[in-house]
Amino acid sequence: VVPGETALAFYKAKNPTDKPIIGISTYNVVPFEAGQYFNKIQCFCFEEQRLNPQEEVDMPVFFYIDPEFAEDPKMAKVDLITLSYTFFEAKEGLKLPLPGYK
Amino acid sequence: MSTAMNFSNKSFTPRPPDKGAFPLDHFGAVARPSLCVAGECSAFKERFMECLRHSGYESAACRQSAKAYLECRMDRRVAPGQRPGCRQLMANEPLEKLGFKDLINEKSEEKPEKS
Repeated sequence: VVPGETALAFYKAKNPTDKPIIGISTYNVVPFEAGQYFNKIQCFCFEEQRLNPQEEVDMPVFFYIDPEFAEDPKMAKVDLITLSYTFFEAKEGLKLPLPGYK
Repeated sequence: MSTAMNFSNKSFTPRPPDKGAFPLDHFGAVARPSLCVAGECSAFKERFMECLRHSGYESAACRQSAKAYLECRMDRRVAPGQRPGCRQLMANEPLEKLGFKDLINEKSEEKPEKS
């Protein structure tokens, strides 16, 4: 992936149970300092997604790395950025708190 | 969530995507299920993944395929044998705004395609 160029990536999610599940996902970027350069244009996260029993779906993420990344001396040794998603089951009335340290 | 045991007070704050969420491309998500087939754009996705495998996972080499997939999601492109009209799974965005400006210019130099 070249900084500044838009890129597409796919994740796959499966509901292995026999009941529909409504899930919501959040993401993490490592290394931590690279996260500020990671820009999502469109993804499947932050909104509830319904998966039917045994359903497997492709989850696209359309993103780009901010070109400033190439100018940041702290990023000089970074050649691998890992984006991961965690799916949680959505509970009615529960507002998913954004992770972070206070 | 992983715990970062570093000495700084910085925390990773996830940000919502610029243009919102992709609705899932599955049968249950469309308003007129009788006209639609589950996983409508999966053919384009397969083509994109095939391209990535062949190129050694060079994202830049597969931008045409990525563009085709997104056009499918925006209900602009129909694979052979499919019916249009039920795949508006992503808001229509001009391709220049999605970082495909150079690919559009290339396309306009060829013969115009039927849409």
